[in-house]
Amino acid sequence: MDAIISQLPTGLAIGAVLLLAALGLNFTFGQMGVINMAHGELIMTGAYTAYVLHAWIGLNPAYSLLIALPVAFTITGTLGWLLELSIIRHFYARPLDTLLLTFGIGMILQQAARDTFGAPNVDVPAPAWLTGGLTLTDGIRIHYSRLFILALTIACVIAIAHYLNRSRQGRQMRAVIHNRDLAAITGINTRKVDATTFFIGSGLAGIAGVALTLIGPTGPTLGTNYIVDAFLVVVVGGLGQLRGTVLAAFTLGILNATVEAWADASLAKLIVFATIVAFLQARPQGLFTVKTRALT
Amino acid sequence: MTTPHLNVRNLSAGYGRARVLFDIDLTVHPGTIACVMGRNGVGKTTLLNTIAGLITPTTGTITHTGTDITTLAPHQRTRRGIAYAPQGHDTFAPLTVAENLHVAHQATRRNRPDLIDAALERFPRLKPLLGRKAGLLSGGQAQQLAIARALVTDPDLLILDEPTEGIQPNIVAEIETAITDTAAQGITVLLVEQYLDVALRLADTITVIDAGRVIHTGPRTELTHRSAHALMAI
Ligand SMILES: Nc1ncnc2c1ncn2[C@@H]1O[C@H](COP(=O)(O)OP(=O)(O)OP(=O)(O)O)[C@@H](O)[C@H]1O
Ligand SMILES: [Mg+2]
Repeated sequence: MDAIISQLPTGLAIGAVLLLAALGLNFTFGQMGVINMAHGELIMTGAYTAYVLHAWIGLNPAYSLLIALPVAFTITGTLGWLLELSIIRHFYARPLDTLLLTFGIGMILQQAARDTFGAPNVDVPAPAWLTGGLTLTDGIRIHYSRLFILALTIACVIAIAHYLNRSRQGRQMRAVIHNRDLAAITGINTRKVDATTFFIGSGLAGIAGVALTLIGPTGPTLGTNYIVDAFLVVVVGGLGQLRGTVLAAFTLGILNATVEAWADASLAKLIVFATIVAFLQARPQGLFTVKTRALT
Repeated sequence: MTTPHLNVRNLSAGYGRARVLFDIDLTVHPGTIACVMGRNGVGKTTLLNTIAGLITPTTGTITHTGTDITTLAPHQRTRRGIAYAPQGHDTFAPLTVAENLHVAHQATRRNRPDLIDAALERFPRLKPLLGRKAGLLSGGQAQQLAIARALVTDPDLLILDEPTEGIQPNIVAEIETAITDTAAQGITVLLVEQYLDVALRLADTITVIDAGRVIHTGPRTELTHRSAHALMAI
């Protein structure tokens, strides 16, 4: 128990990163059921957006991070939207084809990043107001950049929950996801909703990418490091269940941090993975599912 | 003769290679209640789904108030005024009752919030349930919500597929009243109904389908209980 408490800040920080990477997938994979293997490259694109704003356009690091967030959201959102429009929508009934195609597109995006920015990693300097950290008791320190990611993640979750539950478009999205035909005969333009869902899901990948520049270098394969974990978070949380995704991300983050405190990184990964497999054996539908009379 | 409200001509449709409907003709006049009957599996739902735009016909045309709508997407038909409550009282289960009504009302962009109040007056049982998830409603409540959801889209034509199927008698009576009231308000109704009693009470015209073809069509007054039974038993 002590081990968990001392690792709590690290666990929360890892969980926040996982969650940020998974939030976009919660839309495209969790809700629409599309396995978009290029999602990791959208995250990478978001990270390079932050790099370009600072290194090419020369924005002051003091605020370039804050500008990068909406810019990356728009750029990766548009990329994802174009991807849906041109390719993915033709393969909704064929998940395997979608998987392979988007994997290929991910490769192309990686190569494009290599051609544009070079193979070596680049660094995006953090703003001065995020250097240093908060010292908690017992010499546990938490970096301001981690705190910022945690706050950003919480803000994103609140915004998404608000969008889904309170806005007109969010309601339409939930209706289409629940029953496409019923939504169509209710007067909802389901094609438009699909495109919007993809835009938002992909845009969130861009935000995750910007956040990742705060905790490490940016390279063409940045996204691949996170994509498997992000898919796992969505599956463990219960497809398309925001609450589940949040809970799963932080649980996995804390589990990761705790296990890593006494095992080496690859053993820790194995243990976490085994725990997930065991959990999904016991509860294949994930943490949360939609309640209906038929199920209760 | 006035323009028919809904005019289906030579309609054939099916699922992949399996053909279900053959050369269906169906005319519904403004302000009437038209009832389609037939045994299980003859293609009634397929016909309604094709009229709503969920199935693309292989041949034939569908016109709504004189305009050809055969190639319109389902949501465009709904926005034109064709509302549809499908068989099995489907609702948006994860949405609350209120959200089910709002999502439908806002989708058609009519901006007539009074329609929601009117629908709740029509089905007062839904009022205390507004905050409940639709997936938790009973069959009868869900059917009332399904019809209310269709009504808030501001339709001129209301299509109902077996609204009384599997529902307890007192709620069946309420649904019947709702249908007659809706028609009295000037909304045309196209109804698929299995129960002969209900059909004979509500319908102005009755069309009987068997094996995907129309085998009888005419005013209700032409049909007696016995002749109707004979038609349905083919
Ligand atoms: N999605 C589908 N794919 C293939 N065949 C289908 C599908 N839906 C229905 N059918 C077939 O089409 C035929 C007509 O079905 P339909 O649902 O239109 O009948 P129905 O008259 O509405 O029956 P019921 O009274 O039971 O509601 C049936 O033989 C059915 O098996
Ligand atoms: Mg049917």
